[in-house]
Amino acid sequence: MKLYDFELSGNCYKIRMFLNILGINYDRHPIDFFPGNEHKGPEFLAINPLGQLPVLVDGTFQIRDAQAILSYLAAKYDDGGTWYPTSDPERLGEVNQWMAFGDMITGTASAARLHDGLSYTQIDVKAARAGAHRLFRILDEHLWFAEREGRSWICKGDTPTIADIACFPYIMLALEGGVSLQDYPAIRRWTDRVKRIPGFTVMSGIFSAGAGVEAA
Amino acid sequence: MIETKLKWHPIAASDDLAPRHVFDAQLLGQEIAAWRADDGFANVWENRCLHRGVRLTIGINDGNELKCQYHGWRYSNRSANCTYIPAHPADAPARTVCNRKYTTREKYGLVWTAIETSGDVPEISLLAGVPSAPLRAMPINSTADLVEEMLSAAVFESAEDNRWSEMSVETDPSGAITFTGSSDKHLVFFLQPLDSERTIIRGVATGIGDDDIAGLRHLNQCLTTLRAAIEARAAQQDRVDPMQPVYTQVEADLATMPDRGEGSVNGIRVRVASKTMTANDVARFEFVGLTGSLPTGQAGAHIDVHLPNGLIRQYSLTNGPAETDSYIIGVKREPNSTGGSECLHDTVREGDILLVSVPRNNFPLRRDAVRSVFVAGGIGITPLLSMAKTLENQRLNYELHYFVRDDDHVAFADKINALTGKITLHKGLSPEDTGKALHRIYNGPQNANHTYICGPGPMLNAAREAASHCGWDDGAVHFEYFKNTNEIDDSSSFEIALARSGQTLQVKSGETVLDVLRANGVSIASSCSQGACGTCKVAVIEGDVDHQDVHLTDSEKRASAYIMTCVSRAKSDRLVLDI
Amino acid sequence: MLQNVNPTDPVVYNLWHVITAVDDLTPGVPQETALLGEPLCFVLSESGEPIVWKGKIADQTSEDKNARVRAQLKYGYIWVVLGEPEFEIFDIPEYVEDGRRNMNAISVGLNTSAPRVVENFLDMAHFPFVHTDLLGEEPHTEVSEYDVDYNPEEREIWATNCWFYQPKASAASEEGVLAEYKYRVPHPFCAILYKTSPDDDTRLDAIAVLVQPLDETRVRAHLLLSVIDHQNELDKHIRLFQQTILGQDKPILENQMPRRLPLNPRAETPIRADKVSIMYRRWLRELDLHYGVIREVA
Repeated sequence: MKLYDFELSGNCYKIRMFLNILGINYDRHPIDFFPGNEHKGPEFLAINPLGQLPVLVDGTFQIRDAQAILSYLAAKYDDGGTWYPTSDPERLGEVNQWMAFGDMITGTASAARLHDGLSYTQIDVKAARAGAHRLFRILDEHLWFAEREGRSWICKGDTPTIADIACFPYIMLALEGGVSLQDYPAIRRWTDRVKRIPGFTVMSGIFSAGAGVEAA
Repeated sequence: MIETKLKWHPIAASDDLAPRHVFDAQLLGQEIAAWRADDGFANVWENRCLHRGVRLTIGINDGNELKCQYHGWRYSNRSANCTYIPAHPADAPARTVCNRKYTTREKYGLVWTAIETSGDVPEISLLAGVPSAPLRAMPINSTADLVEEMLSAAVFESAEDNRWSEMSVETDPSGAITFTGSSDKHLVFFLQPLDSERTIIRGVATGIGDDDIAGLRHLNQCLTTLRAAIEARAAQQDRVDPMQPVYTQVEADLATMPDRGEGSVNGIRVRVASKTMTANDVARFEFVGLTGSLPTGQAGAHIDVHLPNGLIRQYSLTNGPAETDSYIIGVKREPNSTGGSECLHDTVREGDILLVSVPRNNFPLRRDAVRSVFVAGGIGITPLLSMAKTLENQRLNYELHYFVRDDDHVAFADKINALTGKITLHKGLSPEDTGKALHRIYNGPQNANHTYICGPGPMLNAAREAASHCGWDDGAVHFEYFKNTNEIDDSSSFEIALARSGQTLQVKSGETVLDVLRANGVSIASSCSQGACGTCKVAVIEGDVDHQDVHLTDSEKRASAYIMTCVSRAKSDRLVLDI
Repeated sequence: MLQNVNPTDPVVYNLWHVITAVDDLTPGVPQETALLGEPLCFVLSESGEPIVWKGKIADQTSEDKNARVRAQLKYGYIWVVLGEPEFEIFDIPEYVEDGRRNMNAISVGLNTSAPRVVENFLDMAHFPFVHTDLLGEEPHTEVSEYDVDYNPEEREIWATNCWFYQPKASAASEEGVLAEYKYRVPHPFCAILYKTSPDDDTRLDAIAVLVQPLDETRVRAHLLLSVIDHQNELDKHIRLFQQTILGQDKPILENQMPRRLPLNPRAETPIRADKVSIMYRRWLRELDLHYGVIREVA
């Protein structure tokens, strides 16, 4: 398996983390996203005409888009069928709903991060930050009531899903775009729980959480 | 509304402080890190590591200590004392490295604090003695004044079940906004001003259970609607400058590059909470503070105990990390007691008040070893218990070898049984077999190994010899003697020059360096007065030291870089000291 | 949004600062940036000359002689000075040595002050905790004694004889090494580190951080590499390693409070491992530098 990858990309990190959780070995093929702009070069555009990372190649099958790759990997390699519950229509719908929410987080929090960190000066950073806060208010409320109902994860059920993976990176990296998580305590607690999923890995900008009480 | 630093505010709900989590809070411009230790204590601290200012909310709550993400500095539960600085693993951090703590209470399901302590959390009669549930906190981008104004006019009526209708609104003298309902359904709101333009509404509802999700959702929806209205008006108002946080300054003595060790001589009054026998001839004493928790002792630390008969004796703490409710020591009755152990065994009773020193650490534990070997003889188990628990807390490996006469002489068996590391009891060995056992322990490759030895003199000497014989580096063998059994020769006379203050003093025969320094106004901390504990250590710039202590290692003695001023003297005519 | 800070600090106002790497610039296409709170535009002429002027592209002030800013190319970057330069740009002799690969590894925006970035660059003690498994790993956390010197003639701080255990010291490393470091601070907002080259133990790799203060608490850090590396065929592999490292420092730097570096000795707690930073802070005090620091003794 081969992943077209960039270390500082939260979307690529979703795939690296999930592959590690599933225990799948893969080759990293680094693309010089910045400053090289290699993802907009002819060689990479032949692989993905959208010029976006990540792209996964599994044997002869090739697939782009972080959320699509997560659902492909879960459906194919998660033997327990818990990460992407294809046999439970309601949960499956929920997972897809929150995966789309994860995409909106990319469109806002990640955009603000690109503006501040990689000088994407064409981005309207004020609007991007306001958009991120609007989403985080929704997610924090959702997770606060989930805690009241005894749930740990974004979607119903006792185990995490790929919706948790899809939302996690750009929330953790939000401060790099000037978006503080101070107003979202339920989100902050949830990020600790994600960090304690067996097989969790870090990327540049995200630290691990230390052991939870259960493991003590 | 007048906000002052003296006023109490809620900064979190009690269950916001989840286990092994660091909560991110703010009050009047001050950033706050709040974390609950495994013992349930809620720590509310300035959100900033004292070393380089990194926010502690990105650090790790390990249940007993908070670890900074930048350089791994560790701060203890309750006391906020720094217990370990990984860049200098051989040094004990100065006890005064202490984070800024805010006074904390938990009441009405909320965590309260005040920037400057005065008075107490407001008593709200509506909430007195009735079950209540905190609502979801509602952060709003607005001044507290506007929030207060619009919240006072808010309506919480539920169309479905008529709850929270026809309520009378009042502002309590404490600033709380109370909504009194017809039956037992009341709402009380407290405002938490984060900054000049950011405010959190923290509500508490009576007559509603934690599990009444529908009720909580309804009230949360009302507050969400209210937030939209407040923020729409706030956007029309003139901007207000953010509040400027005040950063705590560190103690003046920490502002320069520090030396090793510490020197506080302040005493603490403690009560003997319990006295029991933990082994044949070994009494276990538990001391509790008269006012709250005690200063944190680092792994390996000891305290001076001032006895009713006027004597002062040193005892190692057995406490693990963050155990500051009490100090637990073990005292062996010495057959040739000069009055110390005898007094503790025969005279001191439960309920007595004693004076003890703050913990000092002259036997620091490194946490950067690949293999840590603890070797205890008899009552020498006490500092090693504290060390073993410290490594265990950090999930580091260690092995503990405990040499005792028989089962009846195993002290602190309960604490030893609670350890999960590799524990070996060596029972009833002859001196010859002890030597063989020690050789087996110290055999093997030596890569980043460290050993810590505490026990009676002969056993300690045997262990040091065995380690040396097996090729252990002098610097990897750490030890603590109970006492100095060497005959002290104080017949010499010589001159000491104090490099920093420029004084030159004479030490006559019969006087100690420490006596002469003190007689001339130089304040030096000391503890055991017999060259065992290491408290009175002073750096030597020039001259040949006549070492008579048992604290320094042989190579340290050869280097003559330090002198134990309570017993050691000069071989040369003159010593230049770095004081 | 730029903070409205007037360049009242003559020390930084009269220094040369980096505003961009030239690697990826297309001649003739102007771009915007900022320096010391001043919006700037820059373009490479068709002949490769840097042209820099104050204002925004939309202001169309490029032809206005009064808006022009003194600029030059050096080490692959455009350097500018807003005031009157008292000193030349410092020398990096390694840059012209044979057999070295020079490149800009990354230019990254950081929400902090320039001195905080420099100080972090001079710090070894954080390696095991921030650059875990690359530049350090627990339990190997000790910082042994090292030497620090200030050279008044060259106006440079040097830290030498610095040793630290590193599991993967660079893109070309295959195993853990006890790495030797030297640090050099030739400019209040620039620092260079030299470390054992895994490919040639007689030479040292040089890595420089060149910090562009957009304003007092927002910067861009440009990372210049001048390394000996025969193993990595492509520059991007060398760059990616350094990008990973800088990406790990970012959340630390952006969570350091206050953002401006406090020069009051009682603001923070130094330890022996911080010898070089103690010297750096003292030097900034003595230079009478005000930008990006807190001078007052509260």
